[in-house]
Amino acid sequence: MFNYILKRIAQSGLVLLVVGFVAFSMFRFVGDPIDNMLGQERTQEDVERLRGELGLDLSFPVQYGRFLMDAIQGDFGVSYRQGRPVADIMAERAPATLELAAVSATLAISIGIVLGVFTAIRRDGWIASLIMTTSLIGVSLPTFLIGIVLIYVFSVHLGWFPSFGRGDVVQLGFWTTGFLTKSGLLALILPSITLGLYQMTLIMRLVRSEMLEVLRQDYVRFARARGLSERVVNFRHALKNTLVPVITVTGLQLGSIIAFAIITESVFQWPGLGLLFINAIQFVDIPVMAAYLMLISVMFVTINLMVDLLYVFIDPRLRKGGL
Amino acid sequence: MSATFKANNPFGESILKRIIYPALILAVTTSAHAATLKWAGTTDPQTMDPHAVISTPVLGFLNNIYEGLVRRGKDMAIESALATSWEPIGEGKGWRFHLREGVIFHNGATFDADDVVFSYQRASAESADTKGWFAPISEVKKVDAYTVDFLTKAPNPLFPDSIANWMIMDADWAKSVGAVTPNKDEGNAATLNANGTGAYQLKKRQPGLETTLAKHNDWWGEDIGNITEATFTPIKNPATAVAALLAGNVDMINPVPIQDAARLEKNTQIKVFKGIEARVIMLGFAQQADVLKYGLDQGKPNPFLNVKVREAVAKSISVPAILRTIMRGNAQPASQLVSPAMRGFSSVNSDRPDFDVKGAKELLAEAGYPNGFSFGLKCPNDRYLNDEAVCQAVTAMLAKVGIKAELDAMPVRSYWPELRQDNFDMYLLGWSPGTFDHEHPIRFLASTPNPEKKLGSWNFGDYSNARIDELLPMIQAEIDDNKRQEMLDEVTDIYQDEYAYVPLYIHPLVWGTRSNVTLTQRPDNFFILRWASIN
Repeated sequence: MFNYILKRIAQSGLVLLVVGFVAFSMFRFVGDPIDNMLGQERTQEDVERLRGELGLDLSFPVQYGRFLMDAIQGDFGVSYRQGRPVADIMAERAPATLELAAVSATLAISIGIVLGVFTAIRRDGWIASLIMTTSLIGVSLPTFLIGIVLIYVFSVHLGWFPSFGRGDVVQLGFWTTGFLTKSGLLALILPSITLGLYQMTLIMRLVRSEMLEVLRQDYVRFARARGLSERVVNFRHALKNTLVPVITVTGLQLGSIIAFAIITESVFQWPGLGLLFINAIQFVDIPVMAAYLMLISVMFVTINLMVDLLYVFIDPRLRKGGL
Repeated sequence: MSATFKANNPFGESILKRIIYPALILAVTTSAHAATLKWAGTTDPQTMDPHAVISTPVLGFLNNIYEGLVRRGKDMAIESALATSWEPIGEGKGWRFHLREGVIFHNGATFDADDVVFSYQRASAESADTKGWFAPISEVKKVDAYTVDFLTKAPNPLFPDSIANWMIMDADWAKSVGAVTPNKDEGNAATLNANGTGAYQLKKRQPGLETTLAKHNDWWGEDIGNITEATFTPIKNPATAVAALLAGNVDMINPVPIQDAARLEKNTQIKVFKGIEARVIMLGFAQQADVLKYGLDQGKPNPFLNVKVREAVAKSISVPAILRTIMRGNAQPASQLVSPAMRGFSSVNSDRPDFDVKGAKELLAEAGYPNGFSFGLKCPNDRYLNDEAVCQAVTAMLAKVGIKAELDAMPVRSYWPELRQDNFDMYLLGWSPGTFDHEHPIRFLASTPNPEKKLGSWNFGDYSNARIDELLPMIQAEIDDNKRQEMLDEVTDIYQDEYAYVPLYIHPLVWGTRSNVTLTQRPDNFFILRWASIN
């Protein structure tokens, strides 16, 4: 058991190293930050000097080694574009992304489960068919298009919601929140729908098919035969038994909500980590790109590690040897 | 509320009448005129340090906060700012500037000659991007508290013009916050804060997110609109910016995507400001390479060494067609390396080569390429408006005379390194003269590259002409405007005859505002806040 955990943690560490290595080797093809940092009047001399100062003239393994040594000590370097420590910038941007992800995940889970149950119970009704048909939009349309359509309808035409940004935010210690102001809450609505729509339809379809499966089981029939009310049958017996796979998938999807926020954030100019990353690519801001990719991979690796460990607790067979 | 106030206060009524009521009235009347403006642009100014980076987003933004000894007016002409007057000293020895008295920095400090000398040292430091502006300067001397002499190595009639974007920083402030020299790599206090003398002061700076400016109430000038507070938000995605303008979430955006300009013009709540930028878009050639580097004829002798081939390229491109279709009528054809709005434009050379497919084919035949050839064209895809589309059009037009361009378009972050390594046969380049003078592109694009003398640093194709190299220092030192223009005309004539570059068009400038905004659009793409008002 203990060995298993140690082994999984060691594997996770290895995955991080590999991700970092691959990411770092790709930076050389992203472009050259020097021209963005120096203006029109730069000379070849300036170019060489800055390249030396930034350590870009060093070989790739040396650069990667330096990055790793600093990263282990929690130092992700200084952003080429902003001239500030990357850790500060990321800390400043993280609340925006996390709040957006939290709201979209809540929306996706609650609406997804409700609609999933509804379409399973009333599988032949016309409302259920309508929901199933429209849910195809959520699965098939790209995020940026949904975002632009929402902006066009609800901001430009109806003027209900702001078309970009986070609205007014309140500073609570190191955290900035949009939950406490009206403009902040309004600003959350369109981006969180855009970001959560795919996950919502996914959860809905998953719940629906699981429900249909469970509703055919013998114990549901017996429950009905006992004369229990439809509500008790559907929610206490059927829904509960569908939730195990739903929770697994939702957990994994949480990671991708944060990672996929890049597109939503750039459509809505949402000042989070994804937007920071996109701008960093444009500017070849290597320290920011490296830190972001490492952060995302740490997140995915942690989620996977936790899921693996949970399996051990859930499934007693895994606890006994063989691993 | 006033009732409780009165009850608890023995002076009651009289205080209300004497102090609070007038204050309230004042507040109400000023707020009727005062206005807050929100604007959006594609790029966040990467620093608040006026000497760290020369780029349009940075200098344009900081022109609202900092001021120079001289500044540019609405017509781009040089006018007095922190210097009230200036005159040449000796026989081309340099320039004397008389400084404005009673100017106050945003932190309350007084402006004088020490700030000018300090700002010179700061802006010419090794780590300053602006140091090139001071290459002609040998010494800066404080004569008295409000007089400063700039001694030049050679006569320099254009020096006052060349420092319009050199901004003066408070010496004591910079020393006290530890920002004596700019630091681009790691930043310092001046990267995030500012203390200038401009009409607006930096109120809040959140890099990449939002920057707020507030009116500097002690500003010395009077030419200022009714904006008391202004917020800038960088919006990367052009569709998002247009939506924000249409929804009224911002008052002004720069730029308006060229394909949206016509649609926005029809909207009564929106105004579209169109102009031309100082930037000229042109094609350049590999002028020294022995062989072609790309395309099917890779490794064969370089046809662009032959002036007839370069002329054929110029004749086979229909600039009006490009402007009509890709630029939707928002740009003007260019005949030389600068636009007609720039100082030193050569009006005797203002004709473009005609669009002439037959002539182009004849020239190719004369040059020994009756069946054309194949080569590589390099192009950026995110630097200039619709740059890749322009290159595609050029490729199609060249194909009609038998020259097959293999187009390779890439993001600008990879583009400059490619050009620096000479990885091209032909390339697209845009040039905006920082000094608004014809001498600038001649120095950077038409001079033989010479790192020591800092010449030709953007002349990627290594174009070289001995007479131009000889004329450039003479142009730089000539005080007589007529003689100077004659030499500029001669240089223009040479580079046009040799088809050193094929100038295509002048980059358009399209801004959009809500219909209640008035502003002035300047060809350097600077948004000067004090010329804006909201009605």
